[in-house]
Amino acid sequence: MLALAPDASSLRAAQPLTSGRSWLVAAAADDRALWGECRGSATAPYRTVIDLSGPAYRCSCPSRKFPCKHALALLLLWSDGVVGTNDDPPEWAASWIAERAARTSDPQNPKAPADPAAAQRRAEQREARVATGLVELDRWLCDQVRQGLAASQRAGYRHWDDIAARMVDAQAPGLAERLRALAAVPYSGAGWEGRLLEEYALLWLLAAAGRDQAGLPPPLRDTVRSRVGFTVRQAEVLASATPVGDYWQVLARRDLDQDRIRTRRVWLRGRDTGRTALVLSFAAVGQSLDDSLSVGTEVDADLAFYPAAVRLRALLATRRDTFPGRPPTGVTVTGLLAGYAAALGEDPWLDTWPVVLDATPARAPLPSLYDQAGDAVPLHPGAGDCWALFALSGGEPLTVAGEWTPRGLWPLTAWDQGGRPVPL
Amino acid sequence: MSTWHDLVTASLIGTERAVVPAVGIPGLPPAEDDGGDPAAVLLDRAALLTAARRAGRRPDYAQPLPQSEPDSRPVVSPAADRRLARLLAGEYPELLTEWLTAVTARGLRAAPQSLPVLLDRARRARSADPALADLVAEAGGPRARWLAGLNPDWEFAAASALSGQDAWRLGNTAQRRRYLAWLLASDPDAARDLIRGGWDAAGPAERVMFLSVLADRLSPADEPLLEAARHDHPEDVRRQAADLLASLPGSALGKQMTERARRYVRIEHAARGPRLVITPPTAEPSQPDRGRLVLEIVARTPLRTWTDRSGLTAAQVAALPSGDWAPVLFTGWVRAAIAQRDHEWTAALIGHALTGRPPRMAGEIQALQRLARRADPALGAPDTLPEPRPDALPVVGAALGVLRFRHDMLKELSDDGNDG
Repeated sequence: MLALAPDASSLRAAQPLTSGRSWLVAAAADDRALWGECRGSATAPYRTVIDLSGPAYRCSCPSRKFPCKHALALLLLWSDGVVGTNDDPPEWAASWIAERAARTSDPQNPKAPADPAAAQRRAEQREARVATGLVELDRWLCDQVRQGLAASQRAGYRHWDDIAARMVDAQAPGLAERLRALAAVPYSGAGWEGRLLEEYALLWLLAAAGRDQAGLPPPLRDTVRSRVGFTVRQAEVLASATPVGDYWQVLARRDLDQDRIRTRRVWLRGRDTGRTALVLSFAAVGQSLDDSLSVGTEVDADLAFYPAAVRLRALLATRRDTFPGRPPTGVTVTGLLAGYAAALGEDPWLDTWPVVLDATPARAPLPSLYDQAGDAVPLHPGAGDCWALFALSGGEPLTVAGEWTPRGLWPLTAWDQGGRPVPL
Repeated sequence: MSTWHDLVTASLIGTERAVVPAVGIPGLPPAEDDGGDPAAVLLDRAALLTAARRAGRRPDYAQPLPQSEPDSRPVVSPAADRRLARLLAGEYPELLTEWLTAVTARGLRAAPQSLPVLLDRARRARSADPALADLVAEAGGPRARWLAGLNPDWEFAAASALSGQDAWRLGNTAQRRRYLAWLLASDPDAARDLIRGGWDAAGPAERVMFLSVLADRLSPADEPLLEAARHDHPEDVRRQAADLLASLPGSALGKQMTERARRYVRIEHAARGPRLVITPPTAEPSQPDRGRLVLEIVARTPLRTWTDRSGLTAAQVAALPSGDWAPVLFTGWVRAAIAQRDHEWTAALIGHALTGRPPRMAGEIQALQRLARRADPALGAPDTLPEPRPDALPVVGAALGVLRFRHDMLKELSDDGNDG
């Protein structure tokens, strides 16, 4: 159900509304429809209707998100079993449900956006807001470099939260998230100033690219837009992408908690195509994440990739069967670095790159993995001691899947001598 | 030509005060100074250099580690490793010792990826449970020793196992216990000589250890030592010696207890069937000392006493009505069944707790919980024990849960392994 959320931030916004107090009315008719009236900032409550057969949503709130936070919250309440049954919907809900039923049963008349002109107007407004935000970000970045990064270290979290909040106002949540994450950099140990400059420089580059979208090749433009924070609807991805069918090996998975939302990243690799894919799912903290892709298995499925210069993020379009998988084949350190360099050529902001490496862990001079040629890459300092990886290896080479980042490799799965996957 | 480092330094100071260094990237013409805002120039150059540095990264060097010695023992099955994860996550943590002991006893070894957590657990428990370190080191084998060589926190697992007489002379309590148990199995007389010879010099913990070793292979020859220990200090030495004497067939204490038990607890055949009648030395059962007295007697009385003359089975005796005395008798029998390692009584008492009068008093519930952790895990096999009565307290069902958990846990370790 949570997979219906367009992105993590909508889910986050829906959370506070999942207390029954926010809802003046909430009811369900059979398992066909849900409706409710939610207290909002306006004087009149927002009226939300959900047709569960679609699912399809309608809400009187002005949000451009689809489904909006009210619809998501209502769905969450319903799935928690808190919504009572009432087979007699009020007029405002009943009419929409009836209208939908009539339209969906009539294939000659596919559903159209409620008001194309208004949608167009909203889209233009947003473009304008984002453009203003990018100019503001430019100026802010220049200020940082002019005053010196030493000043930002003294400034504390507020420093980045302020500019992040301004990017939220400018409807550029992708930039906001990147900026918020920077608050931790000055406390990330030696070399922080270099890492902060890298991030500022990449934001600078992103802002420049965002202002000059028209001059970019379409795939790079998609990347820039998604990094700025424009989301592509799942339905659009499914409709426009050519599905890629393969036996997808589930290489690794990583869960991240951020602002009461858990994000699960599942990395896949096509056995025949050799393509790598990232499937994201979201859940509120305390709720369980999608568990359908388990590490070590192989899934016969079609994936629909989001448009991007380096196509990684994907949706499971069709899923046929799951098999026990075999260990994937790994690359050497040189292969890893060359693969990342090639991807950076397409997307310079790419900082999480899936890899499978055949290597042996070592502890000195830094915790790292080295291959047969003696080439090594460091382990990510944030990944901790990685004792399970060392214990599994016993000084012998093994196959490791993980995320390569500019700070090092974050190991996620290793295969033991018997070829069984071990999550790390 | 400047480097990334110069650029970082300039950005740290700020372009208000620092000059923006020119940077070069191999293969690209040098950047031109377009005379714009120095901050913008710096950011431009930094962006270029960041991408170039990330894409042009060279491999590092690493110092290989020594290799771990091989371990010919098979690794426990994935199911057993998942069970270990549950134990370590706090589900029945007290069963960790049993799991590790069974792993080693069956010639298996713990999965390598679980060793770091096990070693950490053993280190934290070193004062409370010093034997755990040995168990972990043994179940982990050479891989645990290899890890101990990498992390000083785990040094305790690096010491090569002491064996034979060295373990006895130099080892810690756990190692001495293991040597003594081995000696008692192979040369009982030598082991008993060792215990008798060492008794006077031994501290209380050591004496408890001696008795626990003897408990595995009790013989009438142990009676004099146990009799002496029964008047020993502290309390747990006395108590353990008395428990052992009670389970030693034909011991003086056993006879004495049987006699007393028969005097105070009788099976009476009334019109509505047999029942237990308790006549404590004086006064009412509500008086704590009377209850306590009967409990101590029942706990030390050889369990045969109850079945031998009555012609009833253990289950039938356990189910006899006894009024207000039922909790006292139940608790006493549980203690006797544990001390005397009586399988029939154990099964009868657990069965009774599930289907008969449900235990309600704190004492009998505690006793039941202990029994479920000491009972033969075969009792936890499916369909061996009945489901608890609906009106039983949740703790009664939980006791059954422990038994089932132990049964599954040990079954996973005996099954021929790699079942996913």
